Amino acid sequence: MIAASKARRSVLASSVLVAFAVFTACSGGTSTTTTNHVLVVDKSFDMKTADPQREFEVSGGIVAKALYSTLLTFKGADSATPVPAVASSYKASSDAKTFTFTLRNDIKFGDGTKLTSADVLFSFNRLINIKGNPSFLLDGVTVAAPDDSTVVLTSKDPNPAIPFIIPNPALGIVNSKVVKAHGGTDQPGADKADQAESFLNSQSAGTGPYVLKAFSTTSEVDLEANPNYWGPKPFYNKVVIRNIQAPAQLVNIQKGKDEIALDLSPDQASTLSGSGSVQVNAIPGPNVFFLFSNNNPKISGITPNKHFQNAIRYGLDYSSFVQLAGAGAIQTPGLVPSMFLGALTQADAVKRDVAKAKAELAASGISNPTVNLGFPSDFTLNGISFSTLAQKVQANLQEVGIKVNLTGSPIAVSLAEYRAGKEQLGLWLWGPDYPDPNDYLVFLPGQLVGLRAGWAKGSDPSLEALGTQAASTTDNTQRGQLFQQIQRQLNTDGPFFPLIQPGQVVASSKGISGADYNPTWTIDVSGVSG
Amino acid sequence: MTSAASAANQQLAAGWRPRLPSRLFLRFLGRRLAALVLLGLGITFVAFVLTELVPGDPAAANLGQRAIGDPEAVRAFREHYGLDKPLPVQYAVYLQHLAAGDLGESEQSHRPVRTDLAEYVPATAELAVTSILIAFALGIALGVLAAVRRNRLTDQVLRVLSLGGISMPTFWLALVALYVFFFQLGWVPGSGRLDPGVLPAPHVTGLYTVDALIAGQIDVLGNALQHLILPACVLAAYNVGLLTRFVRSAVLEVINNDYVMAARAKGLPERTVILRHVLRAALPPIITVGGLAFANVMTGTVLVESIFSWPGIGQYAFHSATTLDLPAIMGVSLFVAVVYIAVNFAVDVLYGVVDPRIRVA
Repeated sequence: MIAASKARRSVLASSVLVAFAVFTACSGGTSTTTTNHVLVVDKSFDMKTADPQREFEVSGGIVAKALYSTLLTFKGADSATPVPAVASSYKASSDAKTFTFTLRNDIKFGDGTKLTSADVLFSFNRLINIKGNPSFLLDGVTVAAPDDSTVVLTSKDPNPAIPFIIPNPALGIVNSKVVKAHGGTDQPGADKADQAESFLNSQSAGTGPYVLKAFSTTSEVDLEANPNYWGPKPFYNKVVIRNIQAPAQLVNIQKGKDEIALDLSPDQASTLSGSGSVQVNAIPGPNVFFLFSNNNPKISGITPNKHFQNAIRYGLDYSSFVQLAGAGAIQTPGLVPSMFLGALTQADAVKRDVAKAKAELAASGISNPTVNLGFPSDFTLNGISFSTLAQKVQANLQEVGIKVNLTGSPIAVSLAEYRAGKEQLGLWLWGPDYPDPNDYLVFLPGQLVGLRAGWAKGSDPSLEALGTQAASTTDNTQRGQLFQQIQRQLNTDGPFFPLIQPGQVVASSKGISGADYNPTWTIDVSGVSG
Repeated sequence: MTSAASAANQQLAAGWRPRLPSRLFLRFLGRRLAALVLLGLGITFVAFVLTELVPGDPAAANLGQRAIGDPEAVRAFREHYGLDKPLPVQYAVYLQHLAAGDLGESEQSHRPVRTDLAEYVPATAELAVTSILIAFALGIALGVLAAVRRNRLTDQVLRVLSLGGISMPTFWLALVALYVFFFQLGWVPGSGRLDPGVLPAPHVTGLYTVDALIAGQIDVLGNALQHLILPACVLAAYNVGLLTRFVRSAVLEVINNDYVMAARAKGLPERTVILRHVLRAALPPIITVGGLAFANVMTGTVLVESIFSWPGIGQYAFHSATTLDLPAIMGVSLFVAVVYIAVNFAVDVLYGVVDPRIRVA
């Protein structure tokens, strides 16, 4: 008995020892190595590369903006007025085909080389010839450098959007000498020949406010203030951009001192309202969630019917979508987001009218229609799940008399269906590639998204003519009016039904300023101060 | 109990160390390696066929909303990743490269899959090994304790707790643990492998704790351990519950055997009886469960990695699957196959080490 008792004590003692060891390790507290001069940005990564001419992801844009300077830029949250950066000034020709940029002559790369037009020429041609995700930004554009401090962009077609495209971080200027030395090329065939990506993932070659210290596509990106930066010195010497999922961001932001969280949903943000340590900014974001009804009779005999489309248009309960999306969200009155030139006002927004929707359905001559709705079932953006939205669409249209089968699938599958124009009804979003209404001409017949909705070229000549006119008009007032006219026409008899602009939430530690959301690069870490 | 078994147990009790005949062992090793090659081939084949059957398009999943509308960008993407070739040709090229140790280039990270795996596997391995050590230490100790105190209060409490460990969804436990121990109590740091701004020690193994130890960077070691302990504990919870129950049952099976009673009758201390006679005889089934638990932890950490922002193989596998990144999917599949075969192999060898009857057979 005594021996048995000893054994029990021994086992007990072992258990307690192990538990104590675990507890001791657990209770070690946080490290003292973190300094207060580190800005921590929590973001759920879609990171692929730190090579500015290859990145076109949200996370990549934040990094490239910090590492590379562009000819023009935007101030803070504004995206309506491009302002000088590397270019001290620019001139546009009256036909919006030629843009001449005059460069500053006091900007140097880290190796002491002066930034010249040759670097701009190299960077832009590299972007074009790599044929990557951002290459379309300079579609139809040729670049010339007549002297060291002049760059001329010539567009095949009139392109008044170019000054709004130039601030994109993908057009960040790299040190051509250094990048060439590490396998980079700007020549045709760069899609195969360029080998500089791995170098640019290990160190930066730009003139931005920060330099790259460490880069990982899955854990974190570390930036350090660039001692040679030509602009105002950033407040934070170090910036760490971490790959953190939204639920953990919610916890981190309440514990951290100098932190920013970029992926909180409006619902999550609302839980922070009583927090004394966090400030939340929820504004309408630039993403437009929309529904479409396919105009291609080969895809469906029902969805191209104009009366059927009107039944959908007036059957949707737009206010309930806004309510679902939460803080910061608004009904998008047209396809162009509210912060861009040519956006419609809330007065133009379509309102629900069930009686009218039922009358339209009756006029369509289709009784008890059943259609399939495709959407990315595993995709959530701005805190809104497409599955939840799709269920709402289904319930709304059921009230009108339209039966909707939800045929969502994982995004890798549904995206292929959508892009092939095979969905009868589709629930998708469009995020801006650059802050200009020209980016929304893709919704017209024969264009990128128009074709996905089965809207072939020549289907609506008057609308297409308006689109052509808007694309080549240089006067902004006139352009704005033309885009409004296009959207009103789309709201009357187009196959697209704009639903919402979800709220864009930026949560930051109390005392932090300058954490402004900008649709082009999400956040400029060099503008943040504590 | 048979006399042979009894003799074997006596041999064990006497501290006998078995030695595997080298020829048999090499044949056994050869069979396992052949199985690995065949399994690897089978996995690559199935992954290729399944990826082809999925009605998705890697170009659509990887190119942006504009680039996918540009035939030149789509062509360049397909050509770069060999997707412009027929599937049998793609497969043949893949095998050819695989034979040379080249796992291809990831479509999501634009890096060789081998480089990606070399970065992510150590992160998961560090988490998995720590977790399994915790699970073994607690599971065995608590299982023995429960068996020794069978049907008493301690046993009943431990049975309820172990059932809780098995039943609780890991993602839920991870969120609660993060909230309580990081947010409320502040005992551990939050997400990631190190604090923001703390750089890992120079890369040797990829295990931050080991690398920090090698470099003598004690502050980094401490920081890495603090980040490691909570996700490892969360990941261990299920296996602690499982092992506690398993050890309890295995110990109860042998605790009243004749040789155990004989050991007690000889006047051996109870601690020696339990540790050297009872526990050792109960080890084979525990090793089986432990081996599978380790393999599960190595390959099934995706939720814990996601919640704790741990850049391991689980997150990599998830992103690869959602973007139809075929080379990465193949690389992860092969890794999983290797882990399971290696663990089964280690379990088989350990059987022979702890139980001479298996070696004799």
